[in-house]
Amino acid sequence: MSEAIERFFDSLPSRAPAVLRSTVAGTIQIDLATGDGTTHWLVRLQPGEAEVTRARGPADAIWHSSEDLFDRLVTGRAQAIAAMLRNESTFGGNVVLFLAFRRFFPSPPGARDPRDIVRAQAGRPR
Amino acid sequence: MKQIVSILDGNTFLVSDRRGDVEPSPDTPTGLFSFDTRFLSTWLLTLDGERLHALSVDEDRSFQSRFFLVPGEPTHYLDAKVSVIRSRAIGGGFTEELTVLNHTREEVEFTVRLDVGADFADLFEIKDAAIRKQGRTTATVGPDELRLTYRRDAFRRETVVTTSSPGDVDLAGITFRVRIGPHDEWTTRLHVSTVIYGSRGEDIRATLPLGGSRSPADIEAEQNELIAKAPKLGCDCQPLAGAYRRSLNDLAALRYESIALGVRLMAAGLPWFMTLFGRDSIITSLQVVPFLPELITPTILLLAGLQGNRLDDFRDEEPGKILHELRYGETAGFEEQPHSPYYGSADSTPLFVILLDEYERWTGDADLVRHLEAPTRAALAWIDTYGDLLGTGYLWFQTRNPDTGLENQCWKDSWDGISYRDGRLPGFPRATCELQGYAYDAKIRGARMARLFWNDPAYADRLEREAAELKIRFNRDFWIPEREYYALALDPEGRQVDALTSNIGHLLWSGIVDESRAGRVVEHLLGPRLFSGWGIRTLADDQGRYNPIGYHVGTVWPFDNSLIAWGLWRYGFRKEAGQICETMMAASQFFDGRLPEVFAGYERALTEYPVKYPTACSPQAWSAGTPLLLLRVMLGLEPQGEHLIIDPAVPDGMGRVELLDIPGRWGRVDALGRSRGPHDSDRGH
Repeated sequence: MSEAIERFFDSLPSRAPAVLRSTVAGTIQIDLATGDGTTHWLVRLQPGEAEVTRARGPADAIWHSSEDLFDRLVTGRAQAIAAMLRNESTFGGNVVLFLAFRRFFPSPPGARDPRDIVRAQAGRPR
Repeated sequence: MKQIVSILDGNTFLVSDRRGDVEPSPDTPTGLFSFDTRFLSTWLLTLDGERLHALSVDEDRSFQSRFFLVPGEPTHYLDAKVSVIRSRAIGGGFTEELTVLNHTREEVEFTVRLDVGADFADLFEIKDAAIRKQGRTTATVGPDELRLTYRRDAFRRETVVTTSSPGDVDLAGITFRVRIGPHDEWTTRLHVSTVIYGSRGEDIRATLPLGGSRSPADIEAEQNELIAKAPKLGCDCQPLAGAYRRSLNDLAALRYESIALGVRLMAAGLPWFMTLFGRDSIITSLQVVPFLPELITPTILLLAGLQGNRLDDFRDEEPGKILHELRYGETAGFEEQPHSPYYGSADSTPLFVILLDEYERWTGDADLVRHLEAPTRAALAWIDTYGDLLGTGYLWFQTRNPDTGLENQCWKDSWDGISYRDGRLPGFPRATCELQGYAYDAKIRGARMARLFWNDPAYADRLEREAAELKIRFNRDFWIPEREYYALALDPEGRQVDALTSNIGHLLWSGIVDESRAGRVVEHLLGPRLFSGWGIRTLADDQGRYNPIGYHVGTVWPFDNSLIAWGLWRYGFRKEAGQICETMMAASQFFDGRLPEVFAGYERALTEYPVKYPTACSPQAWSAGTPLLLLRVMLGLEPQGEHLIIDPAVPDGMGRVELLDIPGRWGRVDALGRSRGPHDSDRGH
C-alpha cells in the first residue's frame, strides 16, 4: 500500500467538513487491486463527515481500481471520471456517492489559479 | 446538399442518406452513434449488386423511419419489378426490418447484400476529420452474427449485428441469396447492439440504476406519457400548434440516460451535441419550466454533482464552476480531449443559480433549494473569485488549455464570435456583456433564495448590494454613448469591444439595462441592421465580420431570439416581443415546425423563406424550447407568490391562444389570450 494512499484515507475525516457539504449519505467500498491481491476500504459518507475502515461492505457502491491508478488519483496525477470513461476503473451502485467522493481528490501538481496567470500577464497584482 | 435522415433515442442515434445507407465518412457524423462512439460507419444495401434509390421516406417519428426503395438510379420512367422496404427503429440499439417484394408473376432469385463496418470513431475525431485509432478492431463471424470489437487498453466497444433469416456472414457484411415467389416477399430482421464494456466483461449500463435498453414501443409509451403531462395548446395559428407539438416530441426524444446518475438528461442537439452541456441544458430548462418542470430536476442535480472542486488547467476547472460539456467517448477517457467534464464556459455558473431560482418560483420545490444550498453558494462565490480574472468586478474568460480548450467561453464560442465593429479580434481575457447580465441576475435570485430558504438575510443583503453596484458599474463601462448601445465586451485593457450584436437583448432578460436606455436597445434590436425579418441576427449586417452564414456572426438563432423576446417583455415591449414570436413561428413552418439550431441571416425580402444553415443541428434542444418560451411570453405567464399571473399580449392576426393545465405550485391553471389587432376584426370568434 502506497504511503500517499494511506495518508489520503487518514485525512478524510478531518477534511470531510469542508469537502462533503452536500446532503449526500451512504457507504462506498473501494477495492484496490495490487499484483498479489486486493485491499478493501470502506468509507461512510455523511454531510460533513467521513468514517474510514479497512473492511468490506455492506456498501451502497463499489469502486474497483488498481492501486497504481488510485495512487495517481490521490496525488492529482489522474482524474477520476476520465479513468472511469476509459474503463481503467469501474463503479457500481449509487453514483451520487462517487460524485461526492471524487471531491476529496486534489488538483493536479502544478495547476494554476487562473487569476494568477491572467493578472501576471496583465501586469496587475493579485 | 446531401439530404440526411436521422432517428434518435437520447444519445443513441443513426444518421443515414435518403436510401437508408451509411457510407464511410471520416469527417461527417453519419452512422450509428451511442455515447459519442460511432458503432456503425458502413451500412450499405445492394440488390443484385446494384444500389437502391428512394421513392419515398417516412420519417414521422423521432425514433423510427421507413424507406421505400427500388434498384437503380432514377429515370423518368421507372419499371420496378422489385422493391425494397427498410423499416428501422432506434431502441435497444438499432433494428431494421428489410423486406424485398417481387412484383412479377415469376419466381425470382435475388442476392441481397448488406455491407457492415464500424470504425469506432470518437465524435471528436470526426469533428477534427482525423480518425487515428490507437486501438485495434477485430471482426468475428458467428452463425447469423457479425461481431466487431474495438479494444484500447481496458476500453472496449462492440457492435453485434444479428439477422433473423439465415445469411452468409463474412468479415465485412452479410449476403442473402433468396428465392421469392410470384408477388411474394422475403423479410429479415437485423439487429445491431452497441455494447460498452465495463472491466468485468459486462455492459457498463447493466451495473447502473436504470440500465438496460428499451424497445421502440417502450420509447413511444414513455414519450407519450411525458407529452401528456404538458399543458394542452389550443390556438388558431397553425404554425404555432405545429411547432408546439413538434417541440414536445423533440424534447422527449432528446433526453438520454446518463451513465453517471441513471436519470434522463437533455442532450443539446443532433448530431454534434448529443450530450450534456451546462449552458444548453440550463437554457432549455428555463424555456420548459412552465411546461414540463419534471425534466429539470435531474439536470440541476447532475450539474451540481459535477460542480468543479479543484484547479485543473486542462479542463479549465475551478472550485464552484458549473461544467460546460460532458462526453463519454474514447478521447475524453484517454484525455486527448478535456470533456471529462470540461469546464470552459463562463456563463453556466451564473445560469445555474438563475435556473434553480426560476424552478422554485414555478414549482415551489423549496426542498431542492435547501438541498442545493452549498453548491449554489459555491457558484455565487465563483462569480466573484475565479470568474473575476482581472479583479475589476466583471466576469472574464481566458482558457488555460490553448490546445484543446475553448477560446470563447460564452455562447458565441466560435473563434471569431467576439469582435470589434471593424472586425478586429480582441485579446484575452474577454468580458462579454451578457455574462455581466447573468451575474447580476444570479445575485438578485441568489439573494431571494438566501432570504427565503437559507435563513441568511445578511448574505441576501450583500448579494443585492453587489448586484446594484454591478448594474451601476456595467452601465458606466459598457454603454457606448455615441452609438447608444452596450458594447459586446471589454477587452483586457478595459476598452469597449464595440460590435453591435444580439447580446444586448440578453441584457434586457437579465434586467441589468437602465430603464432610460431600454428604448434605444430595443430600437437597435428591431432595427434593420440586427433584425432580418425572420429574427434578430447574432451580428448587425454592417459590422466588419458580418456574414449571413457565419455561425455566430450574422445568422439567426431561435433560442437567442426567445431569450430576447423574454427580455423585451420584461421591459414592457410587448409589441416587439410579439413581433419576434410571430416571425419565429413563420420561420418554423419552413422547417416542418422544427426550428433548427440556427438559420441564415439574409434579409427576409431577399429570399421569402429562411435559408438553411449548412450544418445546423436538428433537433436542437434550445431551439425546441423556443416555441415554449415564446408561448410564455405571448401569454405573459409569471409566477408571483403562490399564483400565476396571466397577462396576454398576442400578436395581431394570431387569434386565440389557449394553454390549458399549466403545472406549478398553484396546481394546474389555464391561460387564454386573443389578438386584438385590425387583422382580427373579421374573425368570427
